[in-house]
Amino acid sequence: MYKRLIFVSLISFCLLLSTALVATGEKVDFTGRTIAVMVEGTHVPVVDAWKPLWERETGGKINVIVVPYAGLSDKLWIEFTSKTGTFDTAAIPSSWLGDVAGGGHVVELDPLFTKYGYPDWDDILPAIKVITRWAGKTVAFPYDGDNHMTYYRKDALEVPEYQEKFKQKYGYDYHLPPKDWTEVRDISEFFNGWDWDNDGEIEYGCAFIAQQKTQAMWEILNLVAQYATKAGPPSNTTSNIFFDADTMEPLCNTPGWIEAFTRLQELTKFAPPGLLGYGYAEFRYAYVSGIAALGFDWGDVGIMEQYPDEYGSKVKGKLGYGPLPGARKYWDHLNKKWVQEDHQVNFLNFGGWVWIIPKATKNVDMAYHWVTYITNPDRSLLDACGIHGYTGVNPYRKSHFDPGVLGLWERGGWDPNAAKGYQKAIVDILTDPYAVTDLRIPGGEKYYDALDTRLAGVLALTTTPEDACAALYDDWVRITDEYGKEDQQRYYRQSLGLE
Amino acid sequence: MKYAYRKHVIKWFFLLPCLAYLIVMAIFPLTWSLRLSFTKWLATIMENPEWTGITNFRDILFKDPRFWSALWFTVRFVFLTVVIQLGIGLGLAHLLHNNFRGRNFFRVLFLIPMACPPIAVAFLWKMMLHPDIGIINTALQTIGLAKVKWTTSVVVAPFTIVMVDVWEWTPFMFLVLFAAFQALPVEIYDAAAVDGASNFQVFRKITFPLVAPIIVTIVLIRIIDAFKLFELIFGITSAGPANATEALSFYVYLTGIKWMNLGKGSAMSWIFLLIVLGISLILLSRLRKKI
Repeated sequence: MYKRLIFVSLISFCLLLSTALVATGEKVDFTGRTIAVMVEGTHVPVVDAWKPLWERETGGKINVIVVPYAGLSDKLWIEFTSKTGTFDTAAIPSSWLGDVAGGGHVVELDPLFTKYGYPDWDDILPAIKVITRWAGKTVAFPYDGDNHMTYYRKDALEVPEYQEKFKQKYGYDYHLPPKDWTEVRDISEFFNGWDWDNDGEIEYGCAFIAQQKTQAMWEILNLVAQYATKAGPPSNTTSNIFFDADTMEPLCNTPGWIEAFTRLQELTKFAPPGLLGYGYAEFRYAYVSGIAALGFDWGDVGIMEQYPDEYGSKVKGKLGYGPLPGARKYWDHLNKKWVQEDHQVNFLNFGGWVWIIPKATKNVDMAYHWVTYITNPDRSLLDACGIHGYTGVNPYRKSHFDPGVLGLWERGGWDPNAAKGYQKAIVDILTDPYAVTDLRIPGGEKYYDALDTRLAGVLALTTTPEDACAALYDDWVRITDEYGKEDQQRYYRQSLGLE
Repeated sequence: MKYAYRKHVIKWFFLLPCLAYLIVMAIFPLTWSLRLSFTKWLATIMENPEWTGITNFRDILFKDPRFWSALWFTVRFVFLTVVIQLGIGLGLAHLLHNNFRGRNFFRVLFLIPMACPPIAVAFLWKMMLHPDIGIINTALQTIGLAKVKWTTSVVVAPFTIVMVDVWEWTPFMFLVLFAAFQALPVEIYDAAAVDGASNFQVFRKITFPLVAPIIVTIVLIRIIDAFKLFELIFGITSAGPANATEALSFYVYLTGIKWMNLGKGSAMSWIFLLIVLGISLILLSRLRKKI
């Protein structure tokens, strides 16, 4: 009897030990086994940096599948529908989780966290934890902290002479960073079309991503978040911009959305002539080349700013960072009225890249080990602070912002003060419990494609904001009906944490 | 009898691989997609398709304005590109049909665009046409002209796609027509010269009628191919700005592959196929009558 007990205990202990080893990064042996890791091109430096070390430490092999962003979802869905095990883990945008997790295509991670443990889960910033969960379950690994922020040229906006002239023209002092979109409009107009940095070239007021099918919709959502809701615990009235949570009626035809479209359309007048050709890559290269006073983008611009040689940055040390501009009013969709109130809403555009493990994989343990290996606090810091260059990974752990690791940011090319400003802008957003998340319901890509298409018409001046919003409303109703209104409403309420 | 039977078996033996290939690679996918077109299958969230009858076709034809605008763009694109390519191809073939120094060099030169992979052509032109840093706008500015919004204007962008396609596929027209010209019998031309026919008369009365069957064939090939326009849209404009360059094949791709709406995507593909077939048949019969 005792022998059996001892035997069972021993076996249990061995099992527990082996699972614990997977998570703690202790010695595991994957010799003779290979996993396929699928990443978009931007993340190749991350994989390149850790792959040799991981292979040496575990004995396993990694087959890297690199796909361009435009082809990522195609590859993903072909695998999910064919279930052939083409890849064992992949880095995808968290905003796709509505379809990916909603369709039940990925391994639920909570049991694996219990089984293997997770390195410093409490170190993950609150907003990032939110984007890795869907319908109450953790379905993805944190890997990146993504949100739009404001970039401004200090060598323009901080010049006393310019500030004085601005005040003479507009009758007030602007804030640094700009406090709301009215200030953005005025600053953009003021700094548009003249050589304010005396480099012999004409500069423009503002720049942003505007090309169709290259993530321009997140630029309009920066404004929608300010004019269509106010910050608060996610509910039907606060921190909610897409649908009426009680009726599933799209909010995109409300005055708040129309105001956002109108303002972004006006900003195109103060932008470089090639604005409509700016995808995210074009925008970033143009902005760090010094073309505009204001820019709105993810943290990537801050990283590219530090590298004059690699990315042609002419603005190293010249950028200021801040949260998204707020607004002086917002539309109360329940009472159907404007509320005049200075306020600001943070928005988790894109949310961040996350790693998922498809259900069809036979190498869950290896995939789990690989992802936890590269995203542990120490390694992820090197990807986020610039030491590995432009990796597409922005800080997402509390420890990334620890004053004790500022030296590593300096090694990543940052001036300490610039790094502090950059970190503050990001951490303020990612620790905001009321930050609005992306639309994370099935069909998310389709809703966003409709938004992107209607926005393109507004930016190209072929459609009025009113017509675009009305057409978008019809699009979204049609998509909701297609996916089933009741299901979509349930998913939407879950995404807001209302169910 | 035995010999005839063996001959019969051997015949089928040789035919079988080809038939198997056809069934697996062409007939099965076609019938499968036809079946799918009568179902609702949002593959992101649905495990299996659900039979919905003609709903997809009704929705596409009567409730989806984007389908019609994509079709309209595609039709205009096909018409413009094929007409321009035929005109230029005919001119070039006629020009190079004459003997002159350096003819071989130009013959090879004109073939280069066609040899490039379409997606590479798309990205190459995307870079060259970039409104701010593209070499074409830089060149225009250098000679004192204004920048052109090649890919960012809803008016210009469709013509930009036409321009690139003409650049890429005119060599095909040229190549085939040039070969046709080379194969024409010299005697008729000699007789025309004796009769004092002008160059234009020779072209209109002799050359054109003789190569007309070839023209019909290559126009049809180009029409079918141009309808499948995809890479240039994918690489240069991503259907923008404001969907001004969204081709039907691109919309089918978005629906079926990007959004995984496999039922609607299949229905759209079948409508697309029927349109191309219909246009091809009409054109073929009309052109045949004229010949």
